[in-house]
Amino acid sequence: MIITNNPLVKANLPEETKIVYMKCSYKDILIKVRDLCYAGFLLKTHPLSGSVKPNETPYKSIMVSDASTGKTDFDSCELISNAISTYEKFAKLPDKWPKEVLLDFQVVDLSLMQNALKSIDL
Amino acid sequence: MYNIAERQMERSVILKLELGYIDIKDIKFADKSEIKDGILYVNTEELKKLVLEDEDIKSVAFDIAKPGESVRITPVKDVIEPRVKISGRGGVFPGVIGPVDTVGDGVTYALRGMAVVTAGKIVGFQEGLIDMSGPGAAYTPFSKLNNLVLVCDPIDGIKQHEYEHAVRFAGLKAAVYLGELARNLKADETKVFETCGIVEGLTKYPGLPRVAYVQMLQSQGLMHDTYVYGVDAKKIVPTILHPTESMDGAILSGNCVSACDKNPTYVHENNSVVADLFAEHGKTLNFVCQIITNENVYLADKRRSSDWTAKLCKMLNLDGVILSQEGFGNPDTDLIMNCKKIEAEGVKVVMITDEYAGQDGKSQSLADADAVADACVTAGNANQVIVLPKMDKVIGVVEQVPKLAGSNEHSLRPDGTIEAEIQIITGATNETGFGTLSAR
Repeated sequence: MIITNNPLVKANLPEETKIVYMKCSYKDILIKVRDLCYAGFLLKTHPLSGSVKPNETPYKSIMVSDASTGKTDFDSCELISNAISTYEKFAKLPDKWPKEVLLDFQVVDLSLMQNALKSIDL
Repeated sequence: MYNIAERQMERSVILKLELGYIDIKDIKFADKSEIKDGILYVNTEELKKLVLEDEDIKSVAFDIAKPGESVRITPVKDVIEPRVKISGRGGVFPGVIGPVDTVGDGVTYALRGMAVVTAGKIVGFQEGLIDMSGPGAAYTPFSKLNNLVLVCDPIDGIKQHEYEHAVRFAGLKAAVYLGELARNLKADETKVFETCGIVEGLTKYPGLPRVAYVQMLQSQGLMHDTYVYGVDAKKIVPTILHPTESMDGAILSGNCVSACDKNPTYVHENNSVVADLFAEHGKTLNFVCQIITNENVYLADKRRSSDWTAKLCKMLNLDGVILSQEGFGNPDTDLIMNCKKIEAEGVKVVMITDEYAGQDGKSQSLADADAVADACVTAGNANQVIVLPKMDKVIGVVEQVPKLAGSNEHSLRPDGTIEAEIQIITGATNETGFGTLSAR
């Protein structure tokens, strides 16, 4: 299951992919995933995927398990918590991007998810 | 009769690379491409024809940037040192430009003191700059080189993937074209790099610690990729290289998102960890090999790759490992996974990384940590703020500056100066330690 605020991920990934699209901020995606991890979902991709810094791109997609295991996974919780701490330390910048640049960010984020899916579809 | 012991000793020395340096003191445009008395003359029409063979590139402009000039190059995609294979198997950039063959032995020439720099606006948010003088020049090793810059414009409507591919290949093809000009010259200096086979290595230096270099390669997706013999590093499992293989261009950068968190191709060709380990080989340590691994986004890939890396360290009976990462955030987790698992095999690990410790340097430096990661060399804090003066000339696009990683909408001031974090500078905090920046 992919938690994303990237409209391109919503529009371009295969139909069978379970996608939870939220119109929200980068940080909101991290918080949503953190809450899912607390509820027993497993983190499947790294929450800080990509070298584009959290204060540059507004888009984030993170893959978690389709269902809760019923038990909180410590490693998943630690990774997502560290990601939130990392997000917090970057200087906050005002939105500076025109539409075409936002699309570039979406394309890069989509590529990261597509490559993660390739790792599963063996 | 077939004597196994003799046979094993006979084949024990595997690779020997003689790296000849052709010193390039200056670059000039001319009617004929040649290298004469240390000056590289470039016929741009010939080079243009070569670059425009790629139908995705509409036009290409060439420029020269020399050390000490008031010149800024931006946005920089890759930096490549031209090389040519004189003898031995394969050719430079094997599996990409050269044929598919194993490289790392024989004789290779390198054009020392210069580089091919590719620039182009692949996406709207951009990576680094190189200042050839001023305070910014001190932060990038590439300001000390004579740079031939290619600014590539794509055809209309091109996709980001295609443009990235076209610019990457333009740089490599130009580097091969220039490297060929050195084929019949005499090297100004030659260094010999020799690596032992397993048998000889074990017996030749019995008192020295067996050390390998574990190099993590960026491998996440578009503009976050590395190629090994032409193979996308996402698709490899950790493997062993003779360290001389990267000197022939076996590892190539396709990583062009942010300027600090990456190893340009020039850094792979001239990897300073490899150079330093060779310098100590047989003296204070036994440099066994280079192990390469990846940094995929999918967590199961990370577990598999770090398991295999630790397994290889154990199989090679290592005492120590130098471990370098490439990238920000996601690779920090691979770094710590590798460190923990290699240490668990009884092998000591020293990590090399850069830091994102906030502009005041007080924040946690990495996105992951562990108690066993107790030996780390830092290549500097990428969030450190710097003011760069206005340059007389810009090669590329100065309007891109507010869009470079580490900058904001106020970075480009009305007077032409730039206030930004040093991550804006190509190569400022390289995670293999290429350069001089560090911290205590």
